[in-house]
Amino acid sequence: MLQIKNYSDKILKNISFELKPKENLIILGSNGAGKSTLAKVLCGITHSNTVTFEHKILTQLNHKERTKLINYIPAKLEIFDEYITLDEYLNLSCLHTLLESKNMLKLLELDHLTNKPCQQLSSGEQQLTMLASAVLHNAQITIFDEPTANLDPKKSRHIFSLLKSNLFQSKIIITHDLNLAYKLGYTILCINEGKIAFFDTAKKFFHESNLNNYFGTSVKMIDNCIVVNL
Amino acid sequence: MRIFIFLLALALITIAPFFGQIPIELYNLDNPTTVDHKLFWDIRLPRVIVAFFAGSILALGGLLFQSLFKNPMSTPYTLGVASGSTLGVAFSIVFGFSSMLSLFGFFGALLTVVILFALTLKLKSYETNTLLLVGIALSFFYNAALMILFYLSDESQSFEIIRFTMGSVDVVGLEHTLPIVLASIGLLLLSNFYKKELKLLLTSNDYAYLKGVEVKKVNTILLVAVSIAVGICVSITGPIGFVGLIIPHIMKTVYKKSAEQLMLPIFFYGGFFLVVSDLIARNLGANSDIPIGILTAFLGGPFFIYLIMKRR
Repeated sequence: MLQIKNYSDKILKNISFELKPKENLIILGSNGAGKSTLAKVLCGITHSNTVTFEHKILTQLNHKERTKLINYIPAKLEIFDEYITLDEYLNLSCLHTLLESKNMLKLLELDHLTNKPCQQLSSGEQQLTMLASAVLHNAQITIFDEPTANLDPKKSRHIFSLLKSNLFQSKIIITHDLNLAYKLGYTILCINEGKIAFFDTAKKFFHESNLNNYFGTSVKMIDNCIVVNL
Repeated sequence: MRIFIFLLALALITIAPFFGQIPIELYNLDNPTTVDHKLFWDIRLPRVIVAFFAGSILALGGLLFQSLFKNPMSTPYTLGVASGSTLGVAFSIVFGFSSMLSLFGFFGALLTVVILFALTLKLKSYETNTLLLVGIALSFFYNAALMILFYLSDESQSFEIIRFTMGSVDVVGLEHTLPIVLASIGLLLLSNFYKKELKLLLTSNDYAYLKGVEVKKVNTILLVAVSIAVGICVSITGPIGFVGLIIPHIMKTVYKKSAEQLMLPIFFYGGFFLVVSDLIARNLGANSDIPIGILTAFLGGPFFIYLIMKRR
């Protein structure tokens, strides 16, 4: 369904891969490998003619059509106006859904913050807000950029269960959290220095020999969880 | 409370044309043979109208520039649009095109916007302070060019330029208020038409793009519209500073709402601020008017600093 063919720029080198309909993807890679750059290319923020949806070039689609296909949730909530409230922000995202922002806020236990300006929310609340906006936008593919970064364990777990739920049609998740990637079990794309180093199933990626190959002794599999070996 | 202040402001605007060095008798207004009639319809009323709509253009234009460039310091003034307009006017005075003064002022503003645009396209980003720095550099450049024009001009021309840069809402005849009224209302209607897009742009350009806004197109339309309106305004009134910067800030602090919901209040109180400034300017001096640009800066500067200190 989603395809990128021979994309190159200053950071990324010759990126090509294809996602089947309903397929989810995890993007791994060290800091500065080009994960977020790739995400911005895939969603059209960085203009490129190499990304196609069912053989139609993404950036040449009509703007409304494009919003149905893809959405991108950045790592940090970016908001210029200091008085836009949570409710207003979510209402801007109500595009292809029958859900109401009110119900979404209840589901995420954010309803006491409805009229609070987004800029005054804590980083965890902001992360949840962005997730809620992704549900309301309801694009065919949603790209999440490090959805569990900077979260306490309880919120991380909350977000994991949301990502695992069927609230989203299909997902591309960028993360450093190997355990999250392992538990979700989606196809893995690993980027190293701007090139695709691995693109296959989670089962193959998390095989012990392969893990050693990529991370050496820095990660370990304990009790069916991937942990960082400190 | 807000409604009370609004009504008070409205009342003040309505009675503003009656105040001045020469008192006007109400019953003379529909008698065309009296001096009062001429004074009211040809001088006082046009003046209040120009003050109101110039103020509204500057305030709304300031709000739009701040929102689109995502910088609380960017206004048509800080980005050099008004200086460009002033230069155009000075050029027309020195080189004998005084009859087309407004036209030159207008093109000066437009030229600046074209330069700013060409640079933003090259920089590929609206969200940096780079543009603000470019604007400041442009202002310096225009200032230098203005100095050259001063150097080339004779005494009466110099005086005319200086008087223009001080700003004035002196317009004789109701028909001459038409361009500024149309520009002002046109800008309000256009920005209201793009209200939803504007709100999305107030979060971030990426967010707006992902929600289906044609970011470049909307930005271009609104920025060009503001520049045309400001160009028309400055060519008539001269550069009147501070309104575009302080009115949006004051209204945001008072209402605590996102910018796109404040367009109407900012439009109204921007106009109100200039009408009051002009009212004071007309009545303070014993024999002559104080230039309005001086007064807005005098009133606005300290008040703005007070607001910033209070926020901390």
